[in-house]
Amino acid sequence: MSFKNKYDVIVIGAGPSGVSAAITCSKRGLKVLVVDSNENSGGQIYRAPPKSYIIKNKKSLKENLIQIKFSEDLKKNNIDTAYNHTVWQVSPGYKVDAFNDNVTIQWTAKNLIVATGTYEKIVPFEGWTTPGVIGLAACTVMLKSHHTLPGNKIILAGNGPLLILVAYYILKFGGKVEAIIDTSSKFQWLKSMLPLITNPENFIQGISWILKIIFSKVPIYSNSIVKKATNNEDGILVELKNIKNKKLKKINTDVLAVGHGLTPSTDITRLLRVEHIYNELKGGWIAKIDKYFRSSMKGLYITGDGSGISGAIAADDKGKLTAYTTLYDSNIINENEFKTKSNKILKKLNRYEIFAKGIAHLNSTPKELIENIDDNTILCRCEDITKKEIIHAIKKGAKNLNQIKTWTRFGMGPCQGRTCHYSVARVASEQLKCEVKDLSYLTGRTPIRPFPLDKAIGDFEYGEITKVEAAPL
Amino acid sequence: MNLRISDYFERGKKIKIIINEKTLEAFEGECLSIVLFISNHKNLRLSPKKKENRGMFCLMGSCQECVVLLDGKKVTSCNIFIKEGMVIKTGDLNEF
Repeated sequence: MSFKNKYDVIVIGAGPSGVSAAITCSKRGLKVLVVDSNENSGGQIYRAPPKSYIIKNKKSLKENLIQIKFSEDLKKNNIDTAYNHTVWQVSPGYKVDAFNDNVTIQWTAKNLIVATGTYEKIVPFEGWTTPGVIGLAACTVMLKSHHTLPGNKIILAGNGPLLILVAYYILKFGGKVEAIIDTSSKFQWLKSMLPLITNPENFIQGISWILKIIFSKVPIYSNSIVKKATNNEDGILVELKNIKNKKLKKINTDVLAVGHGLTPSTDITRLLRVEHIYNELKGGWIAKIDKYFRSSMKGLYITGDGSGISGAIAADDKGKLTAYTTLYDSNIINENEFKTKSNKILKKLNRYEIFAKGIAHLNSTPKELIENIDDNTILCRCEDITKKEIIHAIKKGAKNLNQIKTWTRFGMGPCQGRTCHYSVARVASEQLKCEVKDLSYLTGRTPIRPFPLDKAIGDFEYGEITKVEAAPL
Repeated sequence: MNLRISDYFERGKKIKIIINEKTLEAFEGECLSIVLFISNHKNLRLSPKKKENRGMFCLMGSCQECVVLLDGKKVTSCNIFIKEGMVIKTGDLNEF
């Protein structure tokens, strides 16, 4: 695809909210570009199968059909799509830099819609860096997009709806779930399921998945966490612990998949230095927005789960409302139309919020998970930094996440703290007897994804190099 | 057990890639991380300080744990879709 240099709107992220925002803007004549690091639209929730897969038309998964419709709608509305492009820098103005296989490219736009979704929160435990221990979200990619079982025997651990979803797909594909290790109690599940009644389609689906798991006689350990995982000749030995009665149990598996809920991706908004707020039930730090999804910077909008977690169904409407706000702020639609359209969507979004709150409680991280982290357990995987080293920095005087980063190098590796900032913040908040929000968040730094420098430099002639005057002595 | 499910999709054509000087059969266009994971190549690289084995973790381009050498260059294997003849190295990536 050939790109323009300038667009009216750039949407980063081709998940449900990004796609709906892009289509709504484009229908009113704005020139839109959608950028995504994946090779197709759909985001993580409806992630497309590899391009080489050929669909057997008779049987299709619902998620795959939704993704196909996304791609068709983007094409129909003449929206430029930059797939396989990973954004590594965003600057005010707005300039978006991205790289693909060969080069880095820059586009500019008056408006920027950030629809970058979430990534998975995984609280460390002894042995969590063992190969074969993966995220629950990684399992969803293997199953739903690649139609591949992660292993012959799989243990699922953590909390939240992904536990049920992953177990369901493994069983549907004929795989074996050795055990489900659930941080929550059965009562917590029941309490969270009740608000789901406001959303009958999801409620019935949820119940049918749970029934499949029960009928398949998968052992479920409630109120339990993974204490430790070790490599042995049979695969991985998982030691689990009941947090109520402290009982221990050991189970062998090929693969251990763990996830403790989702957290909004704030790479781009932190880089742009907009205001952020902390909201544990919305997934942690999120850019501060008004109810129309405007950030504190003109022309910058945050939408979808990246603006606070409320799920894929709400994401579509969030994207639409964000688009109407963009259109109104760009003087394309008048106040009357904006009011009518936005009020209608806001009513729907309020209804989804009831459902989102129920799920949010299942996603929260109980203190037992943090207490379970051993002193010698690595928190920052990129730089091999242990809990002990983090505590040492705090004892020496580090008082917030950025100071701990300077002290220890945590968060300075290629993942930029995405994997560890939550657990480091929780450990530090216990140590400093303060709340996570008092510790601030890691200042955004370029590049937000690593890439080879030769791509940034590209090809040039000697004469093209800008000569810099020597500094005066 | 065949871990590849073919109820809903036909995979691409069968191809050969080379992992640590050994040939591995897989299907064109499959994700490199997943191919390695299900074919008993879970250890992809060593961690920087402790030199512990590391492998695929988040599978969505966030954690950067799945780095391998592809045709001599460091890449995150989760966003590589395999092609015939790709040469992959895992282990102590700084040794090569």
